Amino acid sequence: MSKGVLVDLTKCVGCGSCTVACKLWNKNDWDENPSIGPTAKLTDKNWTVVQFKEVKDKQGEPVWRFIKQQCFHCKEPACVSACFAKAFQKTKEGPVIYYPHLCVGCRYCMVACPFNVPKYEWEKPFPLVTKCMMCDTKVQKGEAPACVSVCPADVFKFGDREALLKEAKATISKDPKYVKHIYGEEEVGGTEWMYLSDVPFEQLGFKTNLTKRSLPSYTEAYMHATPFVGVAWGVILTGLYHYTKRRNQIAKDKDKNIKA
Amino acid sequence: MQNQQEVQEKQKQFTRRGFLKMMGGIGLTGITATVAGCSTDPAGGKGWLPQQYQVASTFSTQVKGRIPIDPTNPSITRDDRKCILCGQCVEVCQRVQTVFGYYELPIKNDITCVNCGQCTLWCPTAAITERDDIDKVVAALENKDIHVVVQTAPATRVGLGEEFGMAPGTFVEGKQVSALKKLGFNAVFDTNFSADLTIFEEGTELIKRISGDIHEPLPQFTSCSPGWVKFCEYYYPDLLPHMSTCKSPQQMLGALIKTYYAKEKGIQPEKIFSVSIMPCTAKKFESARPEMNSAGKHAGKPELRDVDVVLTTRELARLIKSKGIDLNSLGDEKYDTLMGESTGAGLIFGATGGVMEAAIRSAYFLITKQDPPEALLNLTPIRGLQGCKEASVDIPGVGTIKVAVVHGLSNARPILEAVRKKEAPWQFIEFMCCPGGCISGGGQPRTSLPPSDDVRQARINSLYNADAHIYAKRKSYENQEVLALYEKFMDNPNSHLAHELLHTHYTDRGKQLTVKRNNA
Amino acid sequence: MASHAQAQRWSFKITPTRILLMLLSAIAVGVIVFRLVTGLGMVTNLTDEWPWGLWIGFDVLCGVALAGGGYGTALIVHVLHKDYFHPIARSAMLTSLIGYLLVMAGLFLDIGQWFNFWRPFVSWGHSSVLFEVFWCVSCYTTVQILEFGEIATERIGTKYHDIFKKALPVLMIVGIIFPTLHQSSLGGLYLLMVDKLYPLWWSPIIFLFFLLSSFFVGPAMICVETTLAGRAYDHWIPIPILRKLIRISGYVMIFYLVLKIYDLISRGVFGLVFSGTFEANMFLIEIIFGIIVPIVICFSGFSATRNGLFTFGLLVSCGVVLNRMNVVVIGMMSSTGVSYIPSIWEFIVSAGLVAMGVLAYCFIVENFKILDHNHGHTA
Repeated sequence: MSKGVLVDLTKCVGCGSCTVACKLWNKNDWDENPSIGPTAKLTDKNWTVVQFKEVKDKQGEPVWRFIKQQCFHCKEPACVSACFAKAFQKTKEGPVIYYPHLCVGCRYCMVACPFNVPKYEWEKPFPLVTKCMMCDTKVQKGEAPACVSVCPADVFKFGDREALLKEAKATISKDPKYVKHIYGEEEVGGTEWMYLSDVPFEQLGFKTNLTKRSLPSYTEAYMHATPFVGVAWGVILTGLYHYTKRRNQIAKDKDKNIKA
Repeated sequence: MQNQQEVQEKQKQFTRRGFLKMMGGIGLTGITATVAGCSTDPAGGKGWLPQQYQVASTFSTQVKGRIPIDPTNPSITRDDRKCILCGQCVEVCQRVQTVFGYYELPIKNDITCVNCGQCTLWCPTAAITERDDIDKVVAALENKDIHVVVQTAPATRVGLGEEFGMAPGTFVEGKQVSALKKLGFNAVFDTNFSADLTIFEEGTELIKRISGDIHEPLPQFTSCSPGWVKFCEYYYPDLLPHMSTCKSPQQMLGALIKTYYAKEKGIQPEKIFSVSIMPCTAKKFESARPEMNSAGKHAGKPELRDVDVVLTTRELARLIKSKGIDLNSLGDEKYDTLMGESTGAGLIFGATGGVMEAAIRSAYFLITKQDPPEALLNLTPIRGLQGCKEASVDIPGVGTIKVAVVHGLSNARPILEAVRKKEAPWQFIEFMCCPGGCISGGGQPRTSLPPSDDVRQARINSLYNADAHIYAKRKSYENQEVLALYEKFMDNPNSHLAHELLHTHYTDRGKQLTVKRNNA
Repeated sequence: MASHAQAQRWSFKITPTRILLMLLSAIAVGVIVFRLVTGLGMVTNLTDEWPWGLWIGFDVLCGVALAGGGYGTALIVHVLHKDYFHPIARSAMLTSLIGYLLVMAGLFLDIGQWFNFWRPFVSWGHSSVLFEVFWCVSCYTTVQILEFGEIATERIGTKYHDIFKKALPVLMIVGIIFPTLHQSSLGGLYLLMVDKLYPLWWSPIIFLFFLLSSFFVGPAMICVETTLAGRAYDHWIPIPILRKLIRISGYVMIFYLVLKIYDLISRGVFGLVFSGTFEANMFLIEIIFGIIVPIVICFSGFSATRNGLFTFGLLVSCGVVLNRMNVVVIGMMSSTGVSYIPSIWEFIVSAGLVAMGVLAYCFIVENFKILDHNHGHTA
């Protein structure tokens, strides 16, 4: 049973505690890229950010919303499937983690991620990929991720994903203010982090046109077929080689015979 | 000769070898650093978190997180690099000031903040500080075309000394004036002066409310504390008619500097840069309120601000220090005349209960035309650090006036609920946003954490001591410069011009948040 | 004896063009060293939004596709024993070998932890399409070097020549399997980008399109290459051979076109082709000038002329380059939201790698038996 986090965006006040906790726990430096505010975005040093957006609520009134961003920790992650050196791995507890020493630096994970989460240390001579680890060492001990544990507004709920999903469904059916969608329930086959909101998700910058199919499933069949195709192709080629050689030989012999 | 050449050759070889060695070294360290430095652990989790967050399960801890701060907040700002998520700002904002957590989520389009700056006093790493406006003042002081005027609040003179190593509460009024003159301010006025003026205006208003000349409800609320005013606008907008229409002393003096002083001195108001030294971060917000441009409007230039920049006590201390001035070594100087005279009544505005006590001294006189009895000059029931204080004062001709004094916004809520339910027995209530009053405002020197009541008491004592023993006059109506102001410029309290320059109106902020109903 | 001694000497003609190419290579080497020391941020315009740029798009994807002529030729000549095409076999495979070496260089430059390039050999991320590409490209390049060994041992290390000659059939077959797999896998890389790559290019059978295009671009490249080599060395491959060869391309391209249209219609995105968007227009350019016009040339009388063959080769090659760049850059633009223009240094390195390839080709052609002179001067 994997752990997940339910994020209720209606409760976020934009204090940014979570971003500070992330920096402290992961020893990530502060730089000129803000981790909260309208221009906040995930970077190699910002594993989580709180983005500010002014949007319209259901009554058409301007309201401020804060969108906590981090890795969604897909149930079937594209980055794990994409990594050809096993630098990305999905743990049984839920977090998708990254082993720097295995990384070659090809950045296929970055291209593959449907949420554009993995970032790269562009300024370093030997750059690595970085992203939120969901504080996997804490999660293994039964502790909530750092960002979750510090929230003063109870935005997050940490627990078994299936239980959280049940709770989320109850919440959105009970309270009419919520959009009737749990973001992360089905996107790209489901994610461990799930979101509730009172403002349509696309207005908050969420990608809402994502497939519900797990991304690795797109390549699985292909990869499974590969060895068989390779062997079969080899057999065919060998057959053709001998066949055409023999044919040419016969033709040549015939030629000779005729000449003779 | 040959020897020398050999040596040179050797040196050359050596340097070449050294160079190669160096390059090799760089390459090697580079590779070992990356290869050996690569442990086989997954990334992340190499840092730390405060202990309260290191717990299994999802039980909530009591003290956690931090308050939201709008990046455009004119009063306070936060350096994320220094934040350790100790949770103290949430503690003070939620439990002492009852602001955070007292509105429903989701929020609307505002981050609720009364700008009191108490969080700047509680923050152990000083990650949260006042918004630093020193540069603006320095720029004005360096500009020879600008006439820079400064006013100092009652409470800064019992706080500033602490920034220079003096004991809490040390009375540095004269030294502060001296320092400001050294810094190059063209005129140094005392906000005590406009505190005395406030007594005239607010006292008159109170009497008119009681007599029915003004059709506004009782009890009347004091309006000197901008944090309190904003709190009321947010959470009790229905009670705003109770709020005295008087501006705070800072804004009164600001309006007068660019009208009365400009006229007397023959200076164009737009050539005046008005600075105020306040114990308060909310004053930065107050001076930026759109309606605080009475002097400008009066002069037909509405873009002028009544007060251009507010510096907190801490900022003033930094400014003084940056110029290499040691407050300890300075002698005493006097405020400039015209608006520099003050009474003990104006001075005690800085302590909780002070506005009320000053008001009673003058109200007694205004109603009875007689000096108040000695007991009213030491109105001990409304002094001290008790959260909510009450007193009854007998004034011949009016009867018994019941008053209340509240400081710290959490103490204000039960009083306000009583007023809302029409169960309030008082005619006049003093509200101060910060616990202890202005002497412990968000702009005052930092003390122990949480801010120490001992220090608060020392500062309060210092003010009352000066009121009783240092100041020659103890009643606002004795302030000759205030009387001269009315005579020369404004006729009488609550006159038309007084209303134009010294009174204001309030903003219903109830629509900017959804007030939580059940925890008030 | 004298002539024998002359034959033993290594020769390399110096011409102004070659000096220019050498200069370009030298600058590129400088940039490459600088990049390897400082990382990617200073040299490239790559960002978190554009983790893959010119080097992956051009050096790797295009490089592999254009170098695909080798395996196609190997299939036709050595497996199907169409001896008719024998004259082009060696030069096609040399181009391919050089192409792959450049691809390896390009890849090496692009990976951040370049000293860690060997990691996937021991840490098997076997679910990754890139894993397959990595293994196949590595193995194939090795095979190609061995294949070249047969040519090289004609001149150096001659005592091993017989061994190479005997091993050649096996090498040839292995050397066809690997490229077949990874040519398609390069397309397969984009299977994951279902929500990111523009629907005109993303397809559940994108790997088939990559495979087919890598196959039909082979003869096209041979046309370009033989024309250039013909001019430089006055060695002309007979037109009928080339014409027959591009006919093979032509049939594959017709199949490609039909499959493409069927794929677009079946996914319900055919309407996008004429939607007038930037992506749609780029797609149209790619299909019209890279596929349809060359098909017409191929089956018309124009292909009976040297100019016709050269035009065909150029259009198809550019069409495939455009296709790969469309997939890597243009097709990803709307999902990333920001644009990417490679830095001057990225261009210089890419151009420098091509220059090195051309120089290496020239050197090998002048010193080994690549262009079969028995067939020269007949055109």
